[in-house]
Amino acid sequence: MILYWHLRSQLYRYMVVDLETVEGLLYYNANRELQLHEDYYSHPESKNVQERLLEVITPTGEVLFRNDKLAHRSLGGPPLSGEGEVGYLQRSVRLSDGTRVFMVSHSHLLNGQPMIIRVAYARGLISGSIAETLAAFAFSLPIVLIITALVGYGLAKRALDPLGKMAARADQITAERLNERLPVDDTGEIGQVAHAFNDTLARLEQSFGQLKRFTSDASHELRTPLTLIRSVGEVGLQTDRTQEEYREIIGSMLEEVNRLSGLVDSLLTISRADAGETELCTVVFPAVDAVREAASLIEILAEEKDQKLLLGGDENALVLADRLLLRQALLNILHNAVKYSPPGGSISAIVLRGSASVFVDVSDTGAGIPDKDRTRVFDRFYRVDQARSREAGGVGLGLSIAKWAIQVQGGDIHVLNNPDRGCTFRIELPLHSPSAQSAKKNAPEPQSLPAV
Amino acid sequence: MRLNIILPVKILVVEDESKLAAALKAGLEESHYSVRVAHSGEEGFFLANREVFDLIVLDVMLPGRDGFEILGTLRQRGFKNPVLFLTARDAVQDRVAGLDLGADDYLVKPFAFPELLARIRVLLRRGVIDGPTRFELADLEMDMVRRVVVRSGKAVALTAREFEILAYLFRHQGQVVSREMLARDIWSETSRQVPLDNVIDVNIARLRRKVDDQFADKLVHTVRGVGFVLREGVSS
Repeated sequence: MILYWHLRSQLYRYMVVDLETVEGLLYYNANRELQLHEDYYSHPESKNVQERLLEVITPTGEVLFRNDKLAHRSLGGPPLSGEGEVGYLQRSVRLSDGTRVFMVSHSHLLNGQPMIIRVAYARGLISGSIAETLAAFAFSLPIVLIITALVGYGLAKRALDPLGKMAARADQITAERLNERLPVDDTGEIGQVAHAFNDTLARLEQSFGQLKRFTSDASHELRTPLTLIRSVGEVGLQTDRTQEEYREIIGSMLEEVNRLSGLVDSLLTISRADAGETELCTVVFPAVDAVREAASLIEILAEEKDQKLLLGGDENALVLADRLLLRQALLNILHNAVKYSPPGGSISAIVLRGSASVFVDVSDTGAGIPDKDRTRVFDRFYRVDQARSREAGGVGLGLSIAKWAIQVQGGDIHVLNNPDRGCTFRIELPLHSPSAQSAKKNAPEPQSLPAV
Repeated sequence: MRLNIILPVKILVVEDESKLAAALKAGLEESHYSVRVAHSGEEGFFLANREVFDLIVLDVMLPGRDGFEILGTLRQRGFKNPVLFLTARDAVQDRVAGLDLGADDYLVKPFAFPELLARIRVLLRRGVIDGPTRFELADLEMDMVRRVVVRSGKAVALTAREFEILAYLFRHQGQVVSREMLARDIWSETSRQVPLDNVIDVNIARLRRKVDDQFADKLVHTVRGVGFVLREGVSS
């Protein structure tokens, strides 16, 4: 239907043009007869021109001209009043011999003679035209579709082929083979995707590597107390013993169980930290308070070793932090200081205020930490001196937990370069300044620069 | 003549792990409780309906049925007495969930048995104002009001911390007190800290030095692997 109307309006436009053409071709010959130049065949649509039915009449109905195609048939009968005077009138008309035509008429003035020009084409033409067009469509459409499909498919395939290759490669990359990477062939968007994917793979590989190492290290650490429990128990049962001996054996096994429990707790803490499951309870408080609390807990241990414990610093250096976590970190570090300092040594914990940070420096007079170990000391399960530390009851997780406890609050911790013997741990936390734009301009800057 | 029949306290233990159930039953019976064991939630309901229990120890990590569900249902069905639940999860929300559902106390596994005993004692004693003003064991005397400790007539000078520890040992006289209990109740530390264990040991050592060293009869004992206990010991 749409096709019909489309063709119909096209025909109308064509006929209008045709009519105008005719207007220019009419002339009066020597016998004062209206004639039409019919040698106009260069127009590409000249084939259709042959089908043209043309009639020229006066406003009163007198026939001035009929073309050969029309012959003697009347085209549309007497003129309608005002036919073609305004614009082009289109009508469907039935000729005397039954032919249905589309007609367009327009008024014209030639040599002073008013006339109405009527141009018509048989409707069959349209139907035929429609039929032709439909046929053309029907025939070509599938072909066009097929071609489009093929071409489209081919194009898409070529464009997506690299993606397909990437997907196939990605499929092969499993947790065991994270070191593989995707091929990056082009620099366009596909290349960008490949790069991004490779970056993700690199990060995953690193995380997996860490996880594997951690799991492996944790398992080894768990094995030690387990072995002790087993050995002590098995040996204990080898022969009959006194009640007191049995008590000792069971007691010894229970001690190891306690050690295991502590280890499991530490591991749980770490895995929770890794999963980011910690909820911080932050309050504003002077950092030196946390130092005092931690120190009061372990001061008795320092006393036992005849060590001096020095505390102090800026009482007004405030931090917005989780008090428990900060205390835990300080406890770990202070306890280490006490453990690894000789009897009679001294340990200090001083709070310093920088322009935007609060520093807590914990120094001892122990053996210090070798340069190469300064950053590794925070690694999980790392112990500077393997043999000594295990006896002292450590498993190497204390400092890594301390580091996490500080970093999760937006701070940092590292080992400073100490010119004298011993070592200094520096905890750095963001300074919390109350709404008053305080800032004592002469806030003390920390004396030693942090080493990397 | 009036017969004072003291009925033993009846405890229901709901625990599916048979080794642990057997250990709990044995341990509680040795502390003179009467114990029934249920190995599943359903069995627990059944027993709780049939008999009267003074306290229920419920492991919430039961297979199948959610232990907390059982807790809720027990309460709904009208069990009014104390419930202590055992859990391996120490996350705050799990503990709170249990307490919200009607439990009175909880213990995180692995727990020290003395601590279970201590908590059961506390739960059963609810409503009774405790706080004796004097403790006595052999020739050791402790006056809580005047904050004075005397042994064999001679004053013993203790630090505040040592005083608290001795009072705690006296309150649990004859029962083993674990380091965790001391950490929790005296130092108010909930996490198991390695440094704290050492601190506790040092404190106990000092307390012992002051209270026991000069005397033949040792009162502060270490039970290896478990904790400490205040009792008249066998002189070594």
